[in-house]
Amino acid sequence: MEKTGAGVVVLSAKEAFEKLEKVGEGTYGKVYRAREKATGKIVALKKTRLHEDQDGVPPTTLREVSILRMLSRDPHVVSLMDVKQGQNKEGKTVLYLVFEYMDTDLKKFIRSFDQPGQNIPPETIKSLMYQLCKGIAFCHGHGILHRDLKPHNLLMDRKTMMLKIADLGLARAFTVPIKKYTHEILTLWYRAPEVLLGATHYSMAVDIWSVGCIFAELVTRRALFPGDSELQQLLHIFRLLGTPNEEVWPGVSKLKDWHEYPQWNSQSLSTAVPGLEELGLDLLSQMLEYEPSKRISAKKAMEHAYFDDLDKRNL
Amino acid sequence: MEFDLENPLENLHSDDVSYLFLIESDHTPSQNHSQTLKARDLDISVRRELISLISQLSCALDPVLSYLAINYLDRFLTNQGILQPKPWALRLVAVSCISLTVKMMGTEYPATDIQALLNQSDGGIIFETQTIQRMEALILGALQWRMRSITPFSFVAFFIALMGLKESPMGQVLKNRASEIIFKSQREIRLWGFKPSIIAASALLCASHELFPFQYPFFLKAISDSSYVNKEIVEQCYKVIQDIAIEEEYSSALNGVSRSDTPINVLDHHFLSSESEKTNGITVANATDSPLGDLKRRKITGCGGNNPTILNSWIQPCERECEK
Repeated sequence: MEKTGAGVVVLSAKEAFEKLEKVGEGTYGKVYRAREKATGKIVALKKTRLHEDQDGVPPTTLREVSILRMLSRDPHVVSLMDVKQGQNKEGKTVLYLVFEYMDTDLKKFIRSFDQPGQNIPPETIKSLMYQLCKGIAFCHGHGILHRDLKPHNLLMDRKTMMLKIADLGLARAFTVPIKKYTHEILTLWYRAPEVLLGATHYSMAVDIWSVGCIFAELVTRRALFPGDSELQQLLHIFRLLGTPNEEVWPGVSKLKDWHEYPQWNSQSLSTAVPGLEELGLDLLSQMLEYEPSKRISAKKAMEHAYFDDLDKRNL
Repeated sequence: MEFDLENPLENLHSDDVSYLFLIESDHTPSQNHSQTLKARDLDISVRRELISLISQLSCALDPVLSYLAINYLDRFLTNQGILQPKPWALRLVAVSCISLTVKMMGTEYPATDIQALLNQSDGGIIFETQTIQRMEALILGALQWRMRSITPFSFVAFFIALMGLKESPMGQVLKNRASEIIFKSQREIRLWGFKPSIIAASALLCASHELFPFQYPFFLKAISDSSYVNKEIVEQCYKVIQDIAIEEEYSSALNGVSRSDTPINVLDHHFLSSESEKTNGITVANATDSPLGDLKRRKITGCGGNNPTILNSWIQPCERECEK
């Protein structure tokens, strides 16, 4: 317990919260389900080591966490309710990010449909996709990229079927030793081809690609491009969409990590995503455009005819 | 992404400001505390001292830096207060606010320069980095890590577009003058109760009245018609800002300080505006006595507490007016 000069009591994270269970190891640290002692409220605590130098809190952490604090009122972003700074047993600074708790995520939700022939109902897919596009449109509308969208980062309330985006901005807030996590956690499956080919300037289109991959996965319950290395990830993409060239993607051969690749012709998306209606296939194809500037925006996606028959009043 | 006062969220679509209006109160010194603070002269003098210290320490850097640092200070004071302040504690708060500001602004200063600057002191007090870090953590907690402050600067472009002056030279002139007014009015504690968007609207109206008095009624209508602002509150804030601008005027005149720090075109327009103000002033004096008298009394009261010389200079015109 710290006391300030004004006599205000500031509780440390350990004193303010009771850890109930460890619910995961996120990309950037351990995640606990916890109860706030003062209110009894259930929250998600993300514990993150700060890679500080002698200057204290790193500027990137400060800037990105501040963004999350500003976005905390949008209904489609998981709310960062509080931040607690403390020290661990070795005296190193740790940050506890206090998020609203959501009882499941899209990854678990998809896996819960595990019987052969058991698919997620089309209207549920449509609702979840609309909420995802709306949340991303909100972030992009304020110039914020996610850059690590995947089903695990999309939290859900199972009762209301509401979906929220998590881990926004954390990709830049906390630097992570890249080799340790690359294979296990930083999944490649939802990564845009321009990123895989070494593009250094990210645009909002990288998130749209991820949204497209998630869209397909909702329909088939399997990852669309399940690569286990960067090369394999690219080959998965090229096998379905055709190996890109300067004609379909001007500038592609000048990207840093471009090589000669086997030449494939593009396949119809309907072969990879059977069961998706024609309008859905059209929207998906616009999300999976090779050229980033031609990829549909999240805002335009919300206006796509695929969503016309969706009741949007509560979304 | 580095922090920009005009675009706290790196807003790529400047028409989408509704969210900023929604959350701006999270980044504003609270109105309640402003009431409480008036009853505690100690805190007011503490704030004045801290602002002076921050301005000294950061004057070598970007002036925007001191604005953000003072914003952090104000929000910290309204949240925590400072009882029985010791000189070293005041300096530590100021230094820590600057340190956080430097991190948010992403300024390209070498760390050693920042450190040397932060540790510069008259009393020979040098803070260990650990001490600054602990104070930083305290400030971050008090501000709830909302460091991308929403300030009046976040709304200026929106209101200029509302006035129909987007990307026009006239809009740029107004923006410059309004920004100057916003900078200088930050020191004034009377503005604590007003939201940043209200301060932005009032500063722009003050600038337009000063520089473009004939277009002022149209600008006033354009801003008043916006659903984002409350007309009555803008009027209240406008009066406070106008008083501050007038006081600033006399303070500059008395100290012989020229406006060399402002762009020349702004200075020219200001001069022209002053001329037309004199004409308008005479007209008003002829039309009605009572409102002008009230105005003069308020000015005298406002100035009296700060500088007796100003008070004396006001008595003569008042006496002349009474003799008529």
